[in-house]
Amino acid sequence: MGHQYKAVQWNVAKIVYDLYCLAALAAFIGIFMTVGLAAHPSGHRADPVVLLIRALGTAAFLMLTIVLAIGPLARLSPRFNPMLYNRRHFGVMTFLVAAAHFGLATFWYHASGPLNPFVSLLVSNPLYQSAEGFPFEVFGLAAFAILFVMAATSHDYWLNNLSAPVWKALHMLVYAAFGLLVLHVAYGALMTEKSAIYPALTVAAFAIVAALHLWTGLRERRRDAGMRGVSASDGWIDVCAPADIPDKRAVIAPLPSGERVAIFRDGAKICAMTNACRHQNGPLGEGCIKDGAVTCPWHGWQYRPEDGVSPPPYTEKIATYDTRLSAGRVFVKVRPNAPGQRSQFIMMGAAP
Amino acid sequence: MTLNRGVYRGRADSDMFIGWAKTPAVDRRFLVAALPTMLAGVAGAAYAVASNLDDPGAGAWKTGALYRATGVLATRPYPMLRVADATAPDGVRSVLIVAQGKCTSALKLPANDGRSYAVAGALIERGARRMIEVPLMLGDWLTPADESAALPPPRIEPLGRKTLAGQIMDTKCFFGVMRPSRGKTHKACASLCIRGGIPPSFWAKGRDGRESVLLMTDPDGGPLGESILPFIADPVRIDGEVFRVDDLLQFRVATHAIARI
Ligand code: FES
Repeated sequence: MGHQYKAVQWNVAKIVYDLYCLAALAAFIGIFMTVGLAAHPSGHRADPVVLLIRALGTAAFLMLTIVLAIGPLARLSPRFNPMLYNRRHFGVMTFLVAAAHFGLATFWYHASGPLNPFVSLLVSNPLYQSAEGFPFEVFGLAAFAILFVMAATSHDYWLNNLSAPVWKALHMLVYAAFGLLVLHVAYGALMTEKSAIYPALTVAAFAIVAALHLWTGLRERRRDAGMRGVSASDGWIDVCAPADIPDKRAVIAPLPSGERVAIFRDGAKICAMTNACRHQNGPLGEGCIKDGAVTCPWHGWQYRPEDGVSPPPYTEKIATYDTRLSAGRVFVKVRPNAPGQRSQFIMMGAAP
Repeated sequence: MTLNRGVYRGRADSDMFIGWAKTPAVDRRFLVAALPTMLAGVAGAAYAVASNLDDPGAGAWKTGALYRATGVLATRPYPMLRVADATAPDGVRSVLIVAQGKCTSALKLPANDGRSYAVAGALIERGARRMIEVPLMLGDWLTPADESAALPPPRIEPLGRKTLAGQIMDTKCFFGVMRPSRGKTHKACASLCIRGGIPPSFWAKGRDGRESVLLMTDPDGGPLGESILPFIADPVRIDGEVFRVDDLLQFRVATHAIARI
């Protein structure tokens, strides 16, 4: 079972996405170096290597901030879905930029001395007991270790082999990495540079990421609380009238159990399935029906509405839910069917 | 509204972006506006961060040309060449000698015998302060010369006890190898250099804004040991004895007299 794993499944959107990210990165580094070298008169010119270390570090921080902002932005508006689409490549790119920053800084500041560069990285800034002098290198190193593990396990191969919950937990560490990077910047650059623009930009990056997550998180919590009080004494729940579901789209019912169900309408047919995409838990109910299949808004994985099985050649399966029409209302059964099991679904006009 | 309480719509618009399918017009319009805007934002961020960096300081590391100096070799407190120079006060310019990289112990200099040598390497220069970085790979960077009679012995003038506030830094980076070479992001590098035998210096900024750089030694004018490592690149106040030795200021300090500010 499972997908055919190719190294990367390319298409035009992904290529355009990656080229755009590379161009933006090149622009950032190019402008940073040009402006940084010209910022001071010729006798006071910054060392290009130090400048490049700073350009790469700033780029990695900015990229991680963007990576973390894309998720909630896509929840707030589907216009951001194209940015989510190949976010994984952007994440790996972030890791590579961080790796270049780490490698160059370790080489430039710690190599060709009396200590092994990696030992030096840990001991040359020795004030571990100090609140203010604490070595910023350690925060950066820890963040880098997390980004490394994430980049190394980013392929769907690992998602399947580590199981989704483990993979998800692992990739939630990105928030720890972001926090560590904020500390890395606060204890390093912000304690070195005098301009107030640096603390301002760092606080802004942190605040944007935090506010977006808080906003979407609260909204989701409110939504999940939605049906908590609804009784399902006979095992069925009243959801809506058939016409409430836009054609080829879905409504989402947060069941009292905490599960979310996506109830799709394709013309006269109404089918229900779990809201969680098998791929990366994308919100299927925010997707649509395309070529007769439920299509995830995040990366376009597809499932047949009746049985939750991906159309051939794929074989992914998700849980389905039974639906029935009663007194002009759509009811959904709270107990899910096994993944891939054909559900009892509604054909309007077909049943009395 | 006939949706049951708590049920909500996914999306109602007819188009949806799917990576492998044709991009809907509404998304295309959004991207046409958003992609250049984001690019401008990225460019603006690069400009804002790069244009506000502190002045990295004056200093040069002239790796392009081989610099030669001839003078009397001294090894205490740190390896240096005393060079006759009419532009220097008292006619003597001190040129510190360091090796490539961050280890100077590898220099293996002959004994402090007052003889003259010619030294070849890359010049590191910050204002009137000079240093020569010798490529150890190059076997003949140090060759005996014969003008020993030309220089008087070093003039050592005590300038009294002083309490100075500033930062301890390694001379090599500060004289020009790294720009910027101050502050916390440079701390580990400075500490590694000083551990490797590169002479430590004290950078003090007076109330009038004038900066002075003093070569640091132990209370007897000998090399300082690793005991100062925890204080490097931190703002500190030190109570010590200031001397002028030829053209260099020397700050003779005991480690216990270093106080973090
Ligand atoms: S989460 Fe990736 S396709 Fe659904």
